[in-house]
Parts: sequence; C-alpha cells; structure tokens
Amino acid sequence: MSGHSNWPEWIYIAVVVALMAWVGAEAWNAERLVEHVPEGAEVIKVTAQQWFWTFEHEDGTKEIGELHVEVGKAYKFEIESKDVIHSFNIHDYVVLMDAVPGRVNTVWFAPTDVGEHAIQCREYCGLLHYNMRGTLYVEEPSS
Amino acid sequence: MVLEFQKPRPIWQIMFSTHHTDIGLLYLISSLAFLFLGGSLALAIRAELFFPNIEGTGQIIADSMTFNRIFTVHGTTLIFLFIIPFASAVGNYFVPIMVRYKDMAYPKLNAIAFWMIPPAAVLVWLGFADFTWYAQPPYSIISAPGPAADMWIFGLKILGISSVLGAINFVVTILKCKHPDMSIGQVPLLAWSFLVTSCIIIVAIPTFAAALLMLLTDRLGISGFFNPAMGGDPIAYSHLFWFTFHPEVYVLVLPAIGMMYEIIPRFSRKPIYSYNSGIFAFVLLAIVAFSSWAHHMFATGMSFTEKTVFMVGTLAAVPASAMHVFNFIATMWNGRIKFATPMMWAVGGIALFFAAGAGGVVNSAMPLDFSTHDSYWVVGHFHLFVMGTIAFASIGFVYYMFPYVTGRMYNETAGKAHFVLSFVGTVLVFFTQHVLGLFGMPRRVFDYPPIPEWIAMNQIASVGAMIIGTSMVIFLINMIYSSAKGELANIEDPFGLGGKYYYPFEAKNPHH
Amino acid sequence: MKRMIGLFLVLAVLVIIPAIDLAFAAGDEPGEYLDRRVIIWNLFFRLMAVAFTVGAVVSGTLIWLVWRFRESNPKAKPTAYEGTDW
Repeated sequence: MSGHSNWPEWIYIAVVVALMAWVGAEAWNAERLVEHVPEGAEVIKVTAQQWFWTFEHEDGTKEIGELHVEVGKAYKFEIESKDVIHSFNIHDYVVLMDAVPGRVNTVWFAPTDVGEHAIQCREYCGLLHYNMRGTLYVEEPSS
Repeated sequence: MVLEFQKPRPIWQIMFSTHHTDIGLLYLISSLAFLFLGGSLALAIRAELFFPNIEGTGQIIADSMTFNRIFTVHGTTLIFLFIIPFASAVGNYFVPIMVRYKDMAYPKLNAIAFWMIPPAAVLVWLGFADFTWYAQPPYSIISAPGPAADMWIFGLKILGISSVLGAINFVVTILKCKHPDMSIGQVPLLAWSFLVTSCIIIVAIPTFAAALLMLLTDRLGISGFFNPAMGGDPIAYSHLFWFTFHPEVYVLVLPAIGMMYEIIPRFSRKPIYSYNSGIFAFVLLAIVAFSSWAHHMFATGMSFTEKTVFMVGTLAAVPASAMHVFNFIATMWNGRIKFATPMMWAVGGIALFFAAGAGGVVNSAMPLDFSTHDSYWVVGHFHLFVMGTIAFASIGFVYYMFPYVTGRMYNETAGKAHFVLSFVGTVLVFFTQHVLGLFGMPRRVFDYPPIPEWIAMNQIASVGAMIIGTSMVIFLINMIYSSAKGELANIEDPFGLGGKYYYPFEAKNPHH
Repeated sequence: MKRMIGLFLVLAVLVIIPAIDLAFAAGDEPGEYLDRRVIIWNLFFRLMAVAFTVGAVVSGTLIWLVWRFRESNPKAKPTAYEGTDW
C-alpha cells in the first residue's frame, strides 16, 4: 500500500527500542542496589493506622508520630497496618513502602546527616489522610 | 446532519431513535455535559489547594470528606462519563459511514447501551462516594460510608455493561457489516482504532466486573475476598482492578489516536504516511497493554522479579506509541497544512502525548517509583494523557465534526482562542505538578504543610486550571451559538481542504 | 567525525562513568552504606537528560514542520495528491 521506502521508520524504532532497553537495564541495576538490605540493619517496626504512625525499636522503645534514629546506622523498617492500606513515606530519603493489612513490607535506609524530616502517608486512607504526618529526627550517635 | 436548532426536531424523536447518528448525538451531548461537570469539580479542587489552610484561612471547602468526595467523583465522571462515551459518540456517528453500512449492527442494543449511562451517572452523582476512583479495599469496604459506596459500585457495574455492549456492536459492525467491496485493509484507521479498542474492552472489563461484585459482597459482610482476617488479601483487588484498568487507559487513548488519524492527513492534504504501520501499532499496543498492569503496584511489596517483569511490559508499549508519533510527523512532512482549529488541537495533542509518555517511562523505572508513587508527579503524568492527549484530540474532533453534525461552521477565532488558552493552561497545571511531585507532595490531600515551594507550585497549577476553565466557557458559548446561528457550512468540504474524501460524509438520517 | 566524538562523550557521561562508579562503589561496612537517595536521584537525572534531549528533538521537529509546511508559507506548494483522487 505504501509505495515509498521506509528505512527512516525502522531506524527510529531501533533507536526507541535501544533507549527503552537502556532505561530498563539502568533501572534494574539501581533497584538491585537499593533493595539489598545490609547485614545488621536495626529493625524498626512501623505500624500504620487511621490516622497516625507508631514505631517500635528493637529494644522495645515505642514512639508515636516521631521517630528518632542515629546518623550512619542502617535501619530496616517492617511496616504493617491495623486497618486500611497506608504508605510509609520519608520523602527526603526516598523511603516509600505500602502498609498493607495482612502482610509485612520491608524497606531500609541509612541516614547520612543530622536533621529533621517529614514522614507522610502516601496512600489515600480517608478523612485525615492529608494530615497523617510525623517527624523523623536523625541524631548524632549516642555512644 | 442531525442537529438543527433553527428547525428543531421533536426531542422524543431523538431520544427514541435507534439510528447511529442520533445515538452518536446523544452520546456527544451527554459526554460534553459531563466534561463540563467534571471539569467544574476540578476547579473546586484547585481553588481549595490554592492556599494551605493556616489557622482556618485558605479553606474554601467545608471539610476534608467533602474534598475527598469531590476528587472521587471528578475522576469517575471524566473517565467513565466523558472520555468513554465521547469515543462512543464518534464511533457511533462515523463507523457505519466508514464501513459503508446503513447503521450499526445492532441498532436497538446500541440505544440500550447509551440509555444505561444516565441512570449510572445518577447513581454516581447522587451517591458522591469518597474512596477515589480506584475504590481500593480495605478502605472501600470497612471505612467508606455507604450508601455512596454501594451506589458507586452499582453505577460502575452498569457503565461496564454499557461499554461491553457497545464494544460488541463495533466489532460486529466493522468485521461483519462492512461493504462487500471493502477489504479489512481498506477500512480507515479511525475505524480500526474502534475495532482494536473494542477487543480490549471485551477482554479487560469482565475482570473489573468480578472485582466490583466481590467488593459488594465483602461490603455486605458475606465474603472476605479482600479481608485478611477472613483469609483474603487487599492486593488481590489491586491485581483485578489494574488488570482491567491498565488496558483501559489504552481504551481511552486509542480512539483519540484514531481521531488524530482522521484530522492530520486531511488537514495536511495528503494520505497517512503508513496505513500498515498504523494498524500494526494499534494491534501491538492492544496486546502489550495487558502486560504492564502491576506497574501501578510497585509500592505494595512486590518481589524484585515481579517488578522487573512489569517494568519490561510497560517499556514494551513505548515503541508502538512511538510508531504513531512517527506516522503523524511523516504525514505532515511535505504537506500543505491548514491550521484550522481541529489541526491545532491534534498537533498540540501530539506534543503533549510525547511529554506524557516520557514521564511514564520515568515512573516505570522501578526505583524511581519510590520517589514519584502516589505523588503529584503521577497526577501530572496521567492528566497529560487524559487532558493533553485524549481531551485535546476529542475536542479537536468536536470542531471537526461540528459542520457535519449541525450543517453550520463554528467561530474559528473562538476555536483558536480556546486552543491557545487550553494549551497554556494544560502546560501550567500538569508540567508544574510533575515538579510538585518530585518535591514530595502526596496525592489526594485536602491540605498541605505551608512549604513555600509547594505553595508556589500549587498556585501556578491553580492559575493554569482557571485558564483552562475560561477556555471551556468560550468553547461552550461557541458550540451553542454556532449550532443555532453559525454560518452555513459547505458540507462537501467545510474546511476548504480540497480532495475527494474516500467515504461519503453525508449520513442518511431517516428522520430528515 | 565531530558527531562521533560528541556522541561518545554523551554516552560516556550517561552510561560508562556511572557503571564504573557503581562497580567500585562502597560495600556494606557500617558508616559506608549505599545512599538510596544518591542512586535514585542519579538515575532520575540521567533519565531526565535523555528525556529532555529526545523531547527537544521531537518538539523541535514538530515546530519546524508546522512552520515550514503551513499553507501560508511563501514556499508552500501543493502536495503530490492535490488535484488527484486521493
């Protein structure tokens, strides 16, 4: 039906496919690195419920709405929900993982600087979803 | 020509008609009405988000629950009551003409499919549910107030059935009722887009129908499909929902691309560069559409392998979409292009289609999803598709079909003004929202902390939204006034393009 | 030749250098953990660079096309199909 040569179209498709392959490869590699939880990461249990966050450290300390961690340590969050789906998000550290009732999801991070950062909910959970916030305090190591 | 305000036909004649042009007109009027209604809800959202609520100021909407209901109905309305019925309007009006048949294959079924929309719309609007257009459990089961939730579920059930009935009609009409002298390789690309879209609908919708039923029985307490305490899993719903709704986004976009395949070659005064590539790209996209659904679920705790599979499935759809863009560009090359209103909308749509797709590729790169998931980046991204590509192509097509439906021409200056304002507004709102998402603002929030960057970007977005709103007022006035008092159009060639159309545009409505 | 050098430089920055960097990247000792922010934002900015380059090519092509082939252009000539039965 088309009486003209179409090698430009083939080259164009080859370039697009090559670009997509590159994106996929880079993303695969980055994800592999990001998902690898270091040995000895300290576990923090995160519990989401309408409409606040609670945290429990390995030594039993509990916190509501705030989380205190130390610079330079690796932490692994074990995230659960008591009611509906929420999503635990510390945007400044690109930590994001859903809190789904009936399962435990994990995500890890290692804070590098002292400071305060926002914790927010990133999955619609009703009336006060917009205000389901907390604060992460990264502090100097105590020892 | 089916709409003549100067010599109005009896309303009951249109309402009880089963002729494809009348049903197309009914779908057209209803879908445009919902465009304006859903758009007004968007303006309410943007007005509320203009200022963060500090000490009670900056708050326009009474409470967060009302706001949550508004965005739920906004999304539900624009997807199910505007985009899909608008595609049905175009398909109903033009597909029988394109395949040179007297009507759709099943005219009475066609009418039934249309008339399911008003009751479904009433259920959705009177209910005004608050659980977002996903209706994700467990929230939609244990926390969403009824009867709004149940009315939404029933409304969507009815809309799904309407969609499937329409799809069956298109498939049979195109494959079985086309003129004996016409092979399938001569059917115009707009008709092909409806054929492919209808096949996707028939395969994808039943999954959501099942999910809706399961949601209802869970809400009634007689089952626990999505309740962990009863052995269920809320993520099962996510799989069922997205298995339908990822292909569904292609159901939304393919007719729009088909509409661009009508407008662009005609206004460039040459045929489409590669008809075969167009078909290949449509069919490939329809198949690949089913391989990427769980990219919406990257944050739910999926394994690395699962995420990789769906990322690959997502990226695989890009070359097919890219083929359409190439086709459009190659068609315009060496053309002699008339930039009447429909062409401006189509070309603007191509540019925004690329931007939407590029943002989507970034989202699909697994680790980047941790930064963008459920933030305003996603809002900006999908709106560039539904507004920037689909609504632009649709509105351009409204201007294109205006002379055929009404026998008159719309006001060209107003049409161009509508385009310019909408394009500027769309860029202002949705490009800004990408950046807002990168700064961390979550979606579906009634309020936000007074971070200066967030405030500034929300305000830019709200201004953009008001500009789009203004342009839509111009559109409404142009459409109504020109239908009644516009200059009579030359039906043979309303836009002065020359050339003989390869199918007759004069639809033979039996009541005329 | 100049195009090859330009292309090679772009490829180097976008692909080869980060790949080598990661190969030598720090491991799992305390105090030397991978910073997920750095990995993710680095990937993001590289993808953005490519996206905007492709975007510039696509939108630049569209703008040029729309300008050159508009019917009011003095250089505009009828297409090969005008006047025929297309």
